[in-house]
Amino acid sequence: MIAGVAVLCVLSLAAPPSAAQAPAYRAPRTANGKPELSGIWQALNTADWNLEGEAAAAGPVPSLGAVFARPPGLGVVEGNEIPYLPAMAAKKKENQANWAQLDPEVKCYLPGVPRATYLPYPFQIVQSQNTILISYEYAGAVRIINMGAPTKAPADSWMGWSNGHWEGETLVVDVTSQNEDTWFDRSGNFHSDALHVVERYTPRSADTLNYEATIEDPKIFSRPWKISMPLYRRVEKNVRLLEYKCPEFAEELLYGPLRKKSSN
Amino acid sequence: MKTKLFVLIGLLMAAAPAFAHHGFAAEFDQTRPLKLKGTVAKWEVSNPHSWIQMDVKGNDGKVVTWMIEGGSPNNLYRLGFTKDSLPPGSEILVDGYQAKDLSTRAVGKSVTFSDGRKLFLGLHTRESDPETKK
Amino acid sequence: MIRRSLASTTTLAAMIAVLLIAQAPVAGQAQSPATKSAQAKAITGGGKSWTPPRTPDGKPDLQGVWTNNTVTPLERPKELAGKEFYTEAELQALAKQERERLAQVEDEGQPPANHSGVEGAPADDVHYDFSQFGLDRGQAKLAWNRRTSIIVGPQGTVPPLTPDARKRLAEIRAKAKGHEFDGPENLPLGARCLARPNVGPPLLPSAYNSNLQIVQGAGYVAIETEMIHDVRIIPTDGRPHIPESIHQWYGDSVGHWEDNTLVIDTTNFTELTPFKGAQNLHVIERLTLADEDTILYQFTVEDPGMWTKPWSGELPITKIDGQLYEYACHEANSPLANTLRGARVAEERAANKSAK
Repeated sequence: MIAGVAVLCVLSLAAPPSAAQAPAYRAPRTANGKPELSGIWQALNTADWNLEGEAAAAGPVPSLGAVFARPPGLGVVEGNEIPYLPAMAAKKKENQANWAQLDPEVKCYLPGVPRATYLPYPFQIVQSQNTILISYEYAGAVRIINMGAPTKAPADSWMGWSNGHWEGETLVVDVTSQNEDTWFDRSGNFHSDALHVVERYTPRSADTLNYEATIEDPKIFSRPWKISMPLYRRVEKNVRLLEYKCPEFAEELLYGPLRKKSSN
Repeated sequence: MKTKLFVLIGLLMAAAPAFAHHGFAAEFDQTRPLKLKGTVAKWEVSNPHSWIQMDVKGNDGKVVTWMIEGGSPNNLYRLGFTKDSLPPGSEILVDGYQAKDLSTRAVGKSVTFSDGRKLFLGLHTRESDPETKK
Repeated sequence: MIRRSLASTTTLAAMIAVLLIAQAPVAGQAQSPATKSAQAKAITGGGKSWTPPRTPDGKPDLQGVWTNNTVTPLERPKELAGKEFYTEAELQALAKQERERLAQVEDEGQPPANHSGVEGAPADDVHYDFSQFGLDRGQAKLAWNRRTSIIVGPQGTVPPLTPDARKRLAEIRAKAKGHEFDGPENLPLGARCLARPNVGPPLLPSAYNSNLQIVQGAGYVAIETEMIHDVRIIPTDGRPHIPESIHQWYGDSVGHWEDNTLVIDTTNFTELTPFKGAQNLHVIERLTLADEDTILYQFTVEDPGMWTKPWSGELPITKIDGQLYEYACHEANSPLANTLRGARVAEERAANKSAK
């Protein structure tokens, strides 16, 4: 019995120091010894509808009934509240009231980071030593993560500028220089061009990743805040991204009024 | 038939690259050439075309904001330019054509500084940028 | 005339226009071994074998940022019929001409050309000056080679259309005539920011920003073209194509490695891309690292319902410093709205004029 306890003590002393409860999952390695994140992944939650939790509600298009109503969700924000500065909370409410007209996703605009991660479409990570490419099915959005010495952006862009590095099992990506024109979700949550996002991708099992993003924007929020969610590997045989080049589907909305009126 | 082919090849093989994607003439009016002198308010480094927002003081002393259409900024980045390379307040001259809908929009056939220097040619010395070189 | 005809970069769309008119029959000829080795030398600059660097998982390393910016036209100009390669001296002369052309353009500005997007329209002056925005092809790195055309072989031109295809294309053109600016769906796919000819496949040079980046991960090769930030992710695990009923602007690509060559097979295209009117297109591409700074890019295009025989092309892709930058086309596509608005204003003016 005492021997058993002694063995238990030795075992617990030998446990990895980072593991609070279960030992951390160790992903298979790439040929150059890094955790292998390559594959097709997708979020399975309602973050794109609303980062904060909400009950189900009617959608903006009555004729689409239950096909396009707002689903319920627990939310993905730690603390479940996005800390807007008082002056900015009013802008969020205004966005929310008019989200179907104002949400850039309706126009198929590039989604920015982190929204690209949790849109309801898959994305693919192609991982190489010095570069990680992430291709998103939505709107053909793509970004290149520089894994070498960090570099600076010459100008702002929709998908921002990504510099990455490894911290043990975690891919950490620092995203700057995003323009102010993207939203976080379909509920009017927004940011300025001072947005700074730090993402963390950590394998948690063979077919899941843990995704966290810390969001900082001193012009809009009173402090940094964090979202987290699992990402699920798409395991169907021969699964691949298909084209969702949605600018075509936004043309009627954007250019319909400029069409030539038919004379017959 | 043969003449047609030759003429078309002549057009296609012209020194300027074919622009089949963009109907400039549908947007801007060849019968409305203009010359604008003013200061840069903002340089919008967007694709497919960048835009220079410039303030032009009319003869009546009133300042009108014009939008001047220009090219994709991507190769400018490769050449070392950034969004800060055309500072607000720079004095420029635009030689171009007005928009067909007569709005304060124009395509800048040539855009130069008041001393005649072309806009981005030699605007600033290209240092060897570590971020644009391997 | 020769100088002007050689110094150009043409888009695929422009080439299609040539196709519609080119009726001259082409005598087929198999490539002789001498031609093949001459090609290899012309492209790679040497006959010596070379072992390419490998990725950690043992595949040839094609990664990096590249350009296929070139002065070589897709089809051989008539004056050069039968001449597949320039000599070294001729190539140097061509390079000098190109430098002189650029100097002239930078000094005097870009000459008028057909910017209307409507085939055969007169040259006009309404444009912005490429060279001022660094967009002249001479202001970016050029991938030089001794070929007189991208299309290989003694003819160097696209084969004739089948009678069916001719009929089909004539019908398409007849329907489109007079409606070029009716609505967004009437404008070219590139103007709508939906698909661009430079992505193909085959990958062909664009007038500017003719750049691509290759990233290789486990079992996949990703090719991102700068315009319109399109990524083709090619699985190399031997999987089949997607179902026949699914058509995509850029088709469906599957690949495999043959020694040092990445072979990409693409089907499932739409009838609009990459060649309007082609209903059963099949494109094969081969990418081989010829030396540290060059990928030899070869392709074959076939569609028996469109052309009387397959046609093949070849061009070098050369490494560039720097990187791809975001080309977010649709998000600020004011030209599309302005083009339609301009057309509406022009119609109103014409209507008012005739009403008087």
